[in-house]
Amino acid sequence: MQFPLSFWDLSLWLAVTAIILLVTSELISPYYGKTNILVNKKRLRQTALTIGILFLITVAIRIYGIITSI
Amino acid sequence: MQESSKVIGYILLLFGTLSLIFSTFYEHVTLAFIGLGLTFWGALLLYIKPTKYVKTSLLDSTALSSLTTTSQIITDLNYKGKAIYLPARYLKKTKGEKVFIPSKKSLVIPPVEELAREKVFLKNPKGICLTPPGLDLVNLYENELRKDFAKVDLNYLQNNLPKLFIEDLEIAEDLEINIRDNMIRVRIAESIYKNLCKEARKLPNICNSIGCPLCSSIAIALTRAAGKPVIIEKNIISEDGKIIEAQYRIIEE
Repeated sequence: MQFPLSFWDLSLWLAVTAIILLVTSELISPYYGKTNILVNKKRLRQTALTIGILFLITVAIRIYGIITSI
Repeated sequence: MQESSKVIGYILLLFGTLSLIFSTFYEHVTLAFIGLGLTFWGALLLYIKPTKYVKTSLLDSTALSSLTTTSQIITDLNYKGKAIYLPARYLKKTKGEKVFIPSKKSLVIPPVEELAREKVFLKNPKGICLTPPGLDLVNLYENELRKDFAKVDLNYLQNNLPKLFIEDLEIAEDLEINIRDNMIRVRIAESIYKNLCKEARKLPNICNSIGCPLCSSIAIALTRAAGKPVIIEKNIISEDGKIIEAQYRIIEE
């Protein structure tokens, strides 16, 4: 019994989720006049940025792994 | 709406957790991805659910009666002067600005001693001293920005009020503040108060004097930041009600 997803699977999942959330967050931004969508836009943006940063951290880990393996 | 999104959030969370447990048990990659997705979106749905929203018509109906009362009082007293927003220090306080409406058209500011008595009807000079309709709104702005407007300058308001109005409080779709010497021009687009503003326009002594809660709140913010009395010089609304343009003047002591 083992969790089937590897580190790189999670990295890919984070990338896809970050893109979806960042695009959604940008599209429903009040700056484009979409003020009638009833979600907490501030929290959505925070989540999108957090997921994006998490993905970048996985990328940094991957780059570090490549550099140290040479 | 809020309840249904909550229920959907919990359902997604439940199925996501079950899927993750089964994926670990059977070591199934697809099930793990599904579980991860469902758990995440369930949690996200619960996290981004809106704070309590009310219809703007309810907002208008609540505020209009008090504005009508203020207008009736001023009309009945036959006071002709322009409303002057007075800084809190005039009342020997740190917060709680007042608006003074003189009986005559001249711009006259009552002495500090007279104001400190906290009377509604003043005798020297003759006029009425009221709590402005936008006072609590401006306190809300301060709470949201976590800043005391008495400790900032006008440039701070010029730079931060647009973001507050558009992004944080979603009061308007656009806000522009132009400062030229002691004149401040404010342009508000698609405000949630546009219907209230339209209705308030029908009342005498409101729009170009005290102002609606929104214009009043900006006047108080300017008074607080400048530390000087402010008047609403002009207040124009476009025909479709979408654009409100207000002009404020800081009175030099």
